[in-house]
Amino acid sequence: MKHIALLIAILISIPLAATTPSADTILQEMDKNMITNSSKATTRMVVHSRRASRSMEAISYSMGNEKAFTEYLAPPRERGTKMLKLGNDLWIYDPSSDRTIQISGNMLKQSVMGSDLSYEDMMEETSYTESYSAKILESVTYEGREAWILELEATSENVSYQRRKTWVDKERYVPLYEEWYAKSGKLLKTFTASEYQKISGRWQPMKILFKDELKEGKGTEYIIDSLELDIRIPEHIFSRASLRK
Amino acid sequence: MILRLAFRNIVGNGYRSLINVLILAIVLIIMVWMQAMYHSWTRLALIQQTDWEYGKGLLRSKLYDPYDSYTWEDSAVREPEQLKSAIQGGDLVPILISPASIYPKGRMMPAVLRGIPHDQDVLRLPVSGLKAQGKDIIPVLIGQNMAQSSRLEKGDIFSIRIKDSSGVFNALDAEVSDVIHIPAASADMSSVWLDLEALREVKASESLVTYFVMGDARYADHEYENFRHIPKSEYFADFYEMLATERVQQAITYALLIFLAMIAVFDTQALAVFKRRKEIGTLASLGLTKGKISLLFTLEGIHYLLFAAIAGAILGFPLFWYFAQYGFQIPKGYEDFGIQGFTEPIYFVYPMGEIIGLFLLVLCFTALFSWLPTRKITKLSPVDALRGKVD
Repeated sequence: MKHIALLIAILISIPLAATTPSADTILQEMDKNMITNSSKATTRMVVHSRRASRSMEAISYSMGNEKAFTEYLAPPRERGTKMLKLGNDLWIYDPSSDRTIQISGNMLKQSVMGSDLSYEDMMEETSYTESYSAKILESVTYEGREAWILELEATSENVSYQRRKTWVDKERYVPLYEEWYAKSGKLLKTFTASEYQKISGRWQPMKILFKDELKEGKGTEYIIDSLELDIRIPEHIFSRASLRK
Repeated sequence: MILRLAFRNIVGNGYRSLINVLILAIVLIIMVWMQAMYHSWTRLALIQQTDWEYGKGLLRSKLYDPYDSYTWEDSAVREPEQLKSAIQGGDLVPILISPASIYPKGRMMPAVLRGIPHDQDVLRLPVSGLKAQGKDIIPVLIGQNMAQSSRLEKGDIFSIRIKDSSGVFNALDAEVSDVIHIPAASADMSSVWLDLEALREVKASESLVTYFVMGDARYADHEYENFRHIPKSEYFADFYEMLATERVQQAITYALLIFLAMIAVFDTQALAVFKRRKEIGTLASLGLTKGKISLLFTLEGIHYLLFAAIAGAILGFPLFWYFAQYGFQIPKGYEDFGIQGFTEPIYFVYPMGEIIGLFLLVLCFTALFSWLPTRKITKLSPVDALRGKVD
């Protein structure tokens, strides 16, 4: 009788093992979707603070995780403000004073345009496979999509968030929702991605909600109005000279 | 005789003398007030910084520059072995600095965490209440300026997000154990004080320190790996530079005041020489040399100043006493600028040496401007003077 029960258990588990990829494979597939060689996007950032919401429009260029350039187009008060990230350095150009400031030290702790992201957060470069090892916790349905909940543990001591939990779409291998934890176990940030579209063969979220869980408010939404991937971007865009142009 | 004559002339000159005396008295009062203000401000700033930040000196990590926020995150280094006993004995107070984001009342703002041993007694910071009672919430101390900018009050609990020494985000909850008046603005603005060991634990940085405050100056005489002594001249360099700028402004104000007073003295003396030409002729006829006649007029001018000094002392006394007793209240809002010494009322101390020096300076100018109009007397013949003729 015992042998029959064992056989049944094995038979049941075979299809499960066959359909569920390993956690590492899931991370690799996620990286394939999320990490792009280059991109150009027009975005809207909507900051939902305690009292009101305000929106900013921007055009952004990026090359991998190393280089990024953003120019704010609206509202008029922010128009012309530009940000350049080169590796670990970040500069911001303020058109009203015609000055370029390198954001460093304590300034990195400040919020970007009052949003739920600090400049420090913008400097984060994350590749799932390079930074984390994962284990599958459970299967759930999240916002109508079948998903795995993965627990990510940092593989080295210098990964900013040592622990994350991510809800991964089973079909598209993209994160639907993530929780980023402090070393102490306190929940610091959440990330909700939705309205995925397939662009140049990759699933990309058109709407992302960042929420600083230590801060009051409803978070900051990034709405991507247009997105081009793996395009050629002139190198001069990622230079300090382009900040003043 | 000339002195007595000069005195009688001044007294006999009535309200004209009185106006000159009053002008000089006002100038003297303003100058003494300003001198006392600068002296007392400097003194207060030096005492505040020494008591609340500098102690008997600083040993700073060579990587740390308080004016360069780039260095704050990664400038802490290990305590040198040779200083362990001094640290345990309380002669050296280790302080660890770390930038952080704090979340007072649900808002995010940057801050600087300053870890200090809760049992230190070198600085005047009342940190004994920073000893952690439980593991969950860490008690912190903030200054009034920080309380105002963060809108935190005693008893408030807020979150702190910090990167540890490996660059990993950590977070903790803190409770404001007290809001105190920290006269040294640099120890107040954006600063959150907490127990050193608690900060080290959160930062995973055992025995790391950014700088030491010395309770005993003898530690300045040795070389330590990764640390350098910050002498007073360097620590207060900015303040002295600011003072030098203020001194220039002070000198311009003094020059202007003295100039205005001297116009009055010069004008009176020039008029006196013109109006008293017959008297000059009479004195010359009686055998007084031209030099002595000039001396008479010069002494009259000096008498103005002497009377002005007495009048200034009488008129200015209530003012001087008031500022010594109740202090000069810093106008609201100036405290936010972080100017050393501008964080509490400045109680006036009157530097007698400097005041006497100023008085002698004014005396020299008064003598000069009293004498200048009398040069005409040297060219005057007694006969012309008696006839009332002056060129």
